[in-house]
Amino acid sequence: MSAFLAPYGEYGGDWLATLLPAAGMTAALTVSAFLLAALLGGLVAALRLSASPMLRRLALCYVEIVRGIPVLTILFLIYFGLPNAGITLDAFTASMIGLAISSSAYLSEVLRTGLGALHKGQREAALAIGMNPGQMYRSIILPQVLRVTLPAILSTLIVLLKDSSLCALITVNELMLTGRALSTEYFLPLNIFVLIGAIYFAIAWPLSLLSRHFERRLLRGRRTVAG
Amino acid sequence: MDFISGLLALWPPLVAGAVMTVKVAAGAFAIAVAGGFLLGVIKTFTRWRAVILMIDAYVELYRNVPALTHLFILYFGLASIGLQLSSLTAAILGLGLIGAATLTDVFRAGFQSLHAGQREAGLAIGMTPSRILRYILLPQAMRVTLPPLGNYAAQLVKDTSIVAAIAAPEIMFYARNLVTSTFRATWIYAFAALLYLALSLPLSWGARRLERRLGASR
Repeated sequence: MSAFLAPYGEYGGDWLATLLPAAGMTAALTVSAFLLAALLGGLVAALRLSASPMLRRLALCYVEIVRGIPVLTILFLIYFGLPNAGITLDAFTASMIGLAISSSAYLSEVLRTGLGALHKGQREAALAIGMNPGQMYRSIILPQVLRVTLPAILSTLIVLLKDSSLCALITVNELMLTGRALSTEYFLPLNIFVLIGAIYFAIAWPLSLLSRHFERRLLRGRRTVAG
Repeated sequence: MDFISGLLALWPPLVAGAVMTVKVAAGAFAIAVAGGFLLGVIKTFTRWRAVILMIDAYVELYRNVPALTHLFILYFGLASIGLQLSSLTAAILGLGLIGAATLTDVFRAGFQSLHAGQREAGLAIGMTPSRILRYILLPQAMRVTLPPLGNYAAQLVKDTSIVAAIAAPEIMFYARNLVTSTFRATWIYAFAALLYLALSLPLSWGARRLERRLGASR
């Protein structure tokens, strides 16, 4: 055990100095992809609830296809495949779009369920007191939908954070790729990848706890068989 | 014509990759179900806080760290201290251990959905705990557990794509090799995407059917 821990005393400072900026890159990638995914996911959820059957079917196809393909394949298609069609994106942009597309399919389902759970009287009441659709969504619908869907939205964010590790394979200098480089430099892959795992855990675990906290708050007062 | 013969040339290696994808997924699925079931049963029925805490720690550690990091620890990390796993073993073991963490709570939720009277009735008529588990609890718990199990299988098929990063020769690994020799990235990756769709969509549709059918009988 002490043989395993010794390198951390010797090189730990150097490693963290290299890995923390990389963790910043992971965070930047995750946050920007998540914002884009929220936009896309909201749009797809709106289409899935639209009055037109064709739009509904189109949105359903999008969700099914995206959820059936691995994130890595989506990333490779965008980064290596699109240049053949004349669209060349840098690795960060390609990653952001790829992660956002994948995440948007899951987010749209979460939002759709949340919107579906809302009684239609809420919408009618808002319109009856003279709100325009923008006001209605901002102050009546979204606050209630977010309250119900927050645990699932946070889970999607954690999945997105973990998926961002795959962007190492299309040359984004985030945690995993930086870790690969460090491990070939120091020949201590076990120590370095365990440290990287710890960094991911330090970001993801608080989010998990938060998600569970909101979930419990939501279920508070509801009687279940488990008591 | 050139296009069709190009596609025909892609077929054999990518299908070989798909066979490997299925093998990795099946192996990981077996480990995940066995491990998740065991941990789920222990977590549901044990009275020892320390055991529950250890299981929770395992579940949290595996669920909050990317699969790629786990695979690199198993494949590159362990090799550096003299424990060299083959890429296939590391892939199956890594995905299996992650799956076990995911399924622990799925199985536990299955048991928790049952009324305590089910177990007490079994004890009252003199059944042993293992017979109660086998004949009373498990068949009823499967009703809650099966649909998430199907969804997990669909997710697992897609997750096998990342084991290409530790050189396990599945679909993405062959696809990448083909791209470097033919430069037809768009077609090859689109073809790989179709293969994954063909493998994972039936699983998730099956899971949804199961969910509807089992839900309807309640």
